[in-house]
Amino acid sequence: MEAHSFLPLWIALGAIPGALIRYYLTRICLEKFGGEFPFGTFIINLSGAFLVGFFATLFQSIKADLTLNGFVIIGFLGSYTTFSTYALDTSNLLKLASYKRAVLYGIGSPVMGFLGVELGIALAQRL
Amino acid sequence: MLKQRIWQQPVVRTVAAISLGAIAGALCRYYFGLAMNSLVGIAVPYSTLVINITGCFAMGFLATLSLGQVVSLHPDVRLLLLTGFLGAYTTFSSYELDSAHLLEQKRFQADLFYWVGSVTLGLMSLHFGIAFAEWLLGKLDPAEATLHQRDRSN
Repeated sequence: MEAHSFLPLWIALGAIPGALIRYYLTRICLEKFGGEFPFGTFIINLSGAFLVGFFATLFQSIKADLTLNGFVIIGFLGSYTTFSTYALDTSNLLKLASYKRAVLYGIGSPVMGFLGVELGIALAQRL
Repeated sequence: MLKQRIWQQPVVRTVAAISLGAIAGALCRYYFGLAMNSLVGIAVPYSTLVINITGCFAMGFLATLSLGQVVSLHPDVRLLLLTGFLGAYTTFSSYELDSAHLLEQKRFQADLFYWVGSVTLGLMSLHFGIAFAEWLLGKLDPAEATLHQRDRSN
């Protein structure tokens, strides 16, 4: 990836709504479903994986501008999804000895995230 | 006068803390990724791997440290560092996209290493972060360390 003068600005602009939506969605899920299972981060990471597959393929086929890639993929989706909270949630579930949930979340996230990204790619290719 | 009142509102403080952290986190990810790519190449997406692993370490460290009573993080600082910075610095979407690309190139061994390795190494480094924070808390106040270990289930 070559340097682009305004690219960091677009990344920063995408990162703000990404992180804010992640925060509020996590809070809404916590209120709705309780804290037994980290539904918030689970839904966020899976939807983010689907969207990144879709948009990365779409941008490649329409030869989109580098700034659009920076805004949506590096900025927004990179900030919307998170790996550190996923690891922390898994560790907390293990600590609480709720092994079924830990396995469902810890293995379910990468497996279903993989399916999500492939679904996004396939959908963008059909367009 | 008005400026002061705006910054006293919890919603404004929350949004500002998360936004500032997210900008720094996403830009760190971008520049660190560029530096890593020019250093080791893009054969295996090492940059996202290293970013996620280091982010997990910092998450374990800071989340544990801020639970203790020795070191107290203001809720806004917690949002800035954990939700904003680390949340934006680490990424799940690039991780899944990278592994899909490796699979597309039929590089199964690299894909398996990257896909499984990210999760296991991330969890391991999170626990190193937790252990490091607990060790540090024990150094700062031995009584706190025992109290903290008793309270681990929280």
